[in-house]
Amino acid sequence: MTSTSPISPTRAPSLTRALKSPLSGRLTFPLVCLGVWLLTIQAVTTIWPFAVDVLPTPWQVAGFMWDEITGNTLAPQNMYETFWISLQRLGAGMAIAMVVGGVIGLAMGLSKSVNAFFNDWIVAILAMPNLAWALFCSLAFGFGDTGPIVAVVLTGVPFVVINVREGVRNAPTDLYDMARAFGVPRERAIRHVLIPSLMPFLFAAGRYAFALGWKGLVVAEVFGGQDGAGWTIKFWYDAHRAYGVIGYALLFVIFALFFEKFLFDRLSRRFFRWRPSANATAEDPAPTDQQRTPQHG
Amino acid sequence: MADIKVENLHKEFGAGADRVVALNDVNLEIGGHVFVSVVGASGCGKSTLLNILSGIETPTNGSVTITQAGHPARAGYVFQAARLLPWRTVMDNLLFVQTDRSEETRRRCQHYLDMVQLGDKAKKYPGELSGGMQQRVGIARAFSTEPDVLFMDEPFSHLDAITARSLRTELHQMWQETGKTVVFVTHDVSEAVELSNRILVFAKGGHLTEDIPMNLPFPRDSSDPDVALAKAEVFRIFEKIGALAVR
Repeated sequence: MTSTSPISPTRAPSLTRALKSPLSGRLTFPLVCLGVWLLTIQAVTTIWPFAVDVLPTPWQVAGFMWDEITGNTLAPQNMYETFWISLQRLGAGMAIAMVVGGVIGLAMGLSKSVNAFFNDWIVAILAMPNLAWALFCSLAFGFGDTGPIVAVVLTGVPFVVINVREGVRNAPTDLYDMARAFGVPRERAIRHVLIPSLMPFLFAAGRYAFALGWKGLVVAEVFGGQDGAGWTIKFWYDAHRAYGVIGYALLFVIFALFFEKFLFDRLSRRFFRWRPSANATAEDPAPTDQQRTPQHG
Repeated sequence: MADIKVENLHKEFGAGADRVVALNDVNLEIGGHVFVSVVGASGCGKSTLLNILSGIETPTNGSVTITQAGHPARAGYVFQAARLLPWRTVMDNLLFVQTDRSEETRRRCQHYLDMVQLGDKAKKYPGELSGGMQQRVGIARAFSTEPDVLFMDEPFSHLDAITARSLRTELHQMWQETGKTVVFVTHDVSEAVELSNRILVFAKGGHLTEDIPMNLPFPRDSSDPDVALAKAEVFRIFEKIGALAVR
């Protein structure tokens, strides 16, 4: 006679599990950064005591950020006015980039000769550093809104072009054939087949253009702005306030992350709720035929 | 019910050394409440014939006329894959191919969804359905336009055997209830014998070689000796022309 004993998986102690969790990993990273920051200040100021004026402590930066958030600033405009100015420039630049890039990408996807005409230039523009565009736009357009907006356009256009071109190349021809077989009018087929099939590509293009456009904008504002986030970072640089430069850059990062998380993620869930991965969960996967198909015959 | 007349139909793809003849001088007449299966080995022009009949492709030579009481007939199509718009709900997929979106049209679409037992899935997206369910939506979509003729291109070939069997039964019931003309492409001889009252056999090179009437009563059970004999006869013809495909 044999006996069997149930095998139960060994459970790790709760502290070990907590330390191995993704959340603790996320929380550990900023703590490590903070530690490295403090150690660096300690090490540098031991060797070079004057560095205490240059290297800000985390508490100085945090205090500066809090002052900015509460509107208590020495800069000509508070943080909210500054980011609103930059956001308007970014919005205008992105809108132009989406329209121009969309038209060129569509033409490149539909015509081999148009693709041959633009392709090398698009790759060249894609390889151009943001700094080069920012300097060029400052020289070409001087101070004001135009330079930063054009910098955003030039940074964003190649990404939109490439994404839209790939979207057109990957157009669902089987769905067009289906529409033709049922005699669906061309206008309705474009509205319900072509445009929705391009949406994921346009959305990816918008996301890239936003992320890279922000960087292009800030650099352009540093060189050719009279206000905006980039100009304000330069303001604190000119004032020789390192905590201001770092603090403003961090505020800028938080602002961009906020947009990414609360605007793009929500828009993505709304626009693409039809995607199986957006709806199916481990508890509610798409049904199989055997699960749901009534059996006959 | 529609009348289909195919005269001297010829279709070629490519040119020069790459030229492929898909259909070669095909002449054909189909009329009334019939279920016609088109069978043959891969690459013999079955799907090309269906694509030309439905207007997806144009012939190189020859003509096709599909009429209903002297007027151009309305056609529906069921594809090998369901070909649903993934970004539209099941109901919107049916409405996409309608000429209007009136309340009556919506009721008709719902009626056909009920017929394929998916009445409660109207607001679901295709990605939330199984492959068999999606194919059912494809069948409901084709019937919902109330076509005079229904073209079906190997609609069950991507499905597992049980689901395919179930859908075959449903399709046949719908055909009998609605009285459409059905042209059904398949490479499966058993499927053709069980469903059709006429079988067209195509050979390599796009030749229509045999036109076989199937006068056995419906429903046909695969264990019925007469059905088995009919299958054996079609297989014999297939062997003769060298285009055997078995299930």
